[in-house]
Amino acid sequence: MTVFLQSLVLGLLLGGVYALAASGLTLIFGVMKVINIAHGAFLVLASFITYTLWDVVGIDPLLAIVITTPVVFAIGWATYKVVVSPIRSAPMASTVLLTFGLALVLEGAMGEIWGNNSTAIRPAYADESFTLGGIFLPKAQVYGGLIAVAVLVVLWVVLTRTWLGRAIRAAASNPSSAQLVGIRTASVAALVFAIGIAAAGAGGAITGVLYPFVPGSHYQWIARLLAIVVLGGLGSLNGAVLGAILFGLAETFTSTYVSPSWATAVPYAIVFAVLLIRPQGLLGTRLREDAVAA
Amino acid sequence: MTDSPATEPETTRAEAADAGHGRPWTQPIWLGRAVALAAAIALLVYPLVTDDLYYQNMIILSLVFAIGASGLNIISGFAGYISLGQGAFIGLGGYTIGVLAARNPDVTIWWWVPVAGLVAALVALVLGLVSLRSSGPAFVIITVAFLFLVQVFAVNWVSVTNGTAGLTMPLPDWDRDIINLPFYYALAAVLALQLLMTWWIRRTKLGMGLIAIREDETKAATIGINLPVEKIIAFMASAVFVGMAGAVYGYYLTFIDPRGMFSILISVQLVLSMLIGGKATLWGPVLGAFLIEPLNEIANNSFGGGNARLFLFGGLLVVVVIFLPRGILPAIESALSWRRTRNKAGLVGARIGTGGSLASLTDRVQVVDRTEVPDRPLLEVTGLVKHFGGVKAVDGASLVVPEGSITGLIGPNGSGKTTLFNLIDDTIRADAGEIVLDGERIDGMRSWQRAHRGLGRTFQITRLFREMTVLENVVAAQPSFSMRGLGKIAVSGSEARAAEELLEFVGMRDFRDQRAQALSYGQQKLVELAQILMLDPKLILLDEPAGGINPVLIDRMGEMIRELNSYGKTFLIVEHNMPFVLGLCDPVHVLGRGRTMASGTAEEIKNDPAVIDAYLGEDFHIEEARR
Repeated sequence: MTVFLQSLVLGLLLGGVYALAASGLTLIFGVMKVINIAHGAFLVLASFITYTLWDVVGIDPLLAIVITTPVVFAIGWATYKVVVSPIRSAPMASTVLLTFGLALVLEGAMGEIWGNNSTAIRPAYADESFTLGGIFLPKAQVYGGLIAVAVLVVLWVVLTRTWLGRAIRAAASNPSSAQLVGIRTASVAALVFAIGIAAAGAGGAITGVLYPFVPGSHYQWIARLLAIVVLGGLGSLNGAVLGAILFGLAETFTSTYVSPSWATAVPYAIVFAVLLIRPQGLLGTRLREDAVAA
Repeated sequence: MTDSPATEPETTRAEAADAGHGRPWTQPIWLGRAVALAAAIALLVYPLVTDDLYYQNMIILSLVFAIGASGLNIISGFAGYISLGQGAFIGLGGYTIGVLAARNPDVTIWWWVPVAGLVAALVALVLGLVSLRSSGPAFVIITVAFLFLVQVFAVNWVSVTNGTAGLTMPLPDWDRDIINLPFYYALAAVLALQLLMTWWIRRTKLGMGLIAIREDETKAATIGINLPVEKIIAFMASAVFVGMAGAVYGYYLTFIDPRGMFSILISVQLVLSMLIGGKATLWGPVLGAFLIEPLNEIANNSFGGGNARLFLFGGLLVVVVIFLPRGILPAIESALSWRRTRNKAGLVGARIGTGGSLASLTDRVQVVDRTEVPDRPLLEVTGLVKHFGGVKAVDGASLVVPEGSITGLIGPNGSGKTTLFNLIDDTIRADAGEIVLDGERIDGMRSWQRAHRGLGRTFQITRLFREMTVLENVVAAQPSFSMRGLGKIAVSGSEARAAEELLEFVGMRDFRDQRAQALSYGQQKLVELAQILMLDPKLILLDEPAGGINPVLIDRMGEMIRELNSYGKTFLIVEHNMPFVLGLCDPVHVLGRGRTMASGTAEEIKNDPAVIDAYLGEDFHIEEARR
């Protein structure tokens, strides 16, 4: 029973971190219909930046989020302006290939800068745990999970309670009409892309503390994140959160009760199953295809 | 013509002579063929004149990637389904030969090469079945998931694959002097087979159907293209020779492991090769493979592999998608065609022909005797329901279209008219209700099956295949389905003639070789009408035939509908142009809030208080009197 409870709590905390990382992916898709395959690479990039801040400057890795996130935000903004905006009108499959190419370039760049050896961020509390009625909760996981939830709440408030959030949602549902009522959709798109990347960055700062990583870890991350957003319904923020929690639980329980080596197959199996049974995901809606203006 | 399925020789020759001003040997197509022939000869002779192993190795790898990219071209280039899992078939081929060779030491290894092709095709069949419902980005994700899943199996299924330690194959038992040659020529042979198949697919109905699927899949279904069968064939065709190439490749390497054989970079290299050379062309993927593989070697040997390869592939992918989305060969071709056609007036603005009566153009139609048309419903819709979430778009609509009639369907915007059409032709599947066409229940059938039973439908916002010419658009309609039919030539002489007659009828014959995307909205409407007439449908659904076209054309549209009706075609027409509907249609159904609120003759409808209240408005009769 304690093993079960421990898996449950750890799965939920992990789900919070996944939700943060996946929120950017689903936000970017929702607003600009771009599936950003480089999302995992940006996440790993944030882990490496956090590593440097911790290792060289000596800042606590979880506090370093306040530096990492704006840095990654800026990188995201620049990436959008240089690479993504020229092909906004291209078919979706091309943007998938483009962002995939971007992921490969980032992987190569991280390999050049930080090397291809396994990197781990280990602050003083890395090996400490809270004990709560017989279950052990590693401090890093607890802090990471709580910070992730806090950042997510901020993101949610921005998206639902501010003018910016309304502009973003307007641009998502009908870009040309949004433009007509005075929203600069080009700026909104760049902003959304940067915010999405920044969310991945905040997630990456946390996951860097939880797991060791190499530049090639981004494949694993994008597989997880895609599984999450596909499960929750592409473009739906609430869906991503729900998908992330379910996914965190599924992964924790698989590695507790089956075996860690088969846990790697979980995301792919989920992607297959969801796209087969319910292609729109749990909370996604199917768009009507027939009456879209050409 | 790189993109288009072949037409029969007579038309090709006519076009060619026109394009090259009567100097056939300087035309691009002959130039291209000469270059391809020279390259093929050079490729075959090369290992005989030199024994430089470095370049032989490079060519062998290029051949593997050329086969992989050409296979990918069938599903991604023709059918438009971009796959990042194509490398898995190379790996599967390698593992098939590795596993089977280890367990059957007495059997000549080469026998496992065709078996590997079979295995790859079977796996492709399964992948095709699994992914039938997904498209666009979801499909790309599925293919990546597929690749990683296969890799996870190769790692974890140790008893068969030996896990991460990999499998070692027996060394070749032939003379060391010719060590590479059997691999070299085996791959050249597989490439030849692959190209032969690609060429064959492109000139058949199958290829045309695949291109239609790429351009607009739902539309393709409504003109009778059997989506699952064509897609699954394409899937298997894109894998079979790639599996064989993977087997030869595995044998050549003599060592296979999950990381090497199922690396995502192999898939990326295949996609890159296809994109750079030119997707949907015969030679593009081969050209691309022979460009990319040497670059890959240079990155590996001179820049230390690893990160350099990532920069190379990632950077190239970004650059190609942004700057060269169509690839080298199509870019060359469009440059040549620009030179040919510059300073020539375009046809696009030309006046639409008035057309003649269809009976004067062909003997395939004849006026039917009205008294012999049986008095029965051709289409009977009962209690159709479609809800989108909480929105009841169609909520129990019922209507009857009598055989031989021109039936009208009117109603306010949002009353569910177009949705009703979508339900009738299965562009959207109904939640509930019955649809009976010509005495047969069709509500359980898919779009193409309904089309084959005599249902033709135009769209409110026209949906032609933009990259196809007008003629190809018309001929793309497939009035029936058979496996043998898929292998027939894409545009036969008799089909081309029939299509031209229909185009003449709608007044668009002069535009037959224009790409559909160059046409105006009104012109597209006319071509779409010709396209569905090619199905020889019993019932024609027209969604706003008079919307957005000029008054002269509206009159012509009315004439054409009447004339087709006189040949026995039954119509169901959605239209907001009231004089047009009320002058043409009998009976008329009125849809309101997803239900049929009134039915009757035009006169009855005009004077029905409920209809005036819900739709026509009080001013309708005043305005009509003014006209």
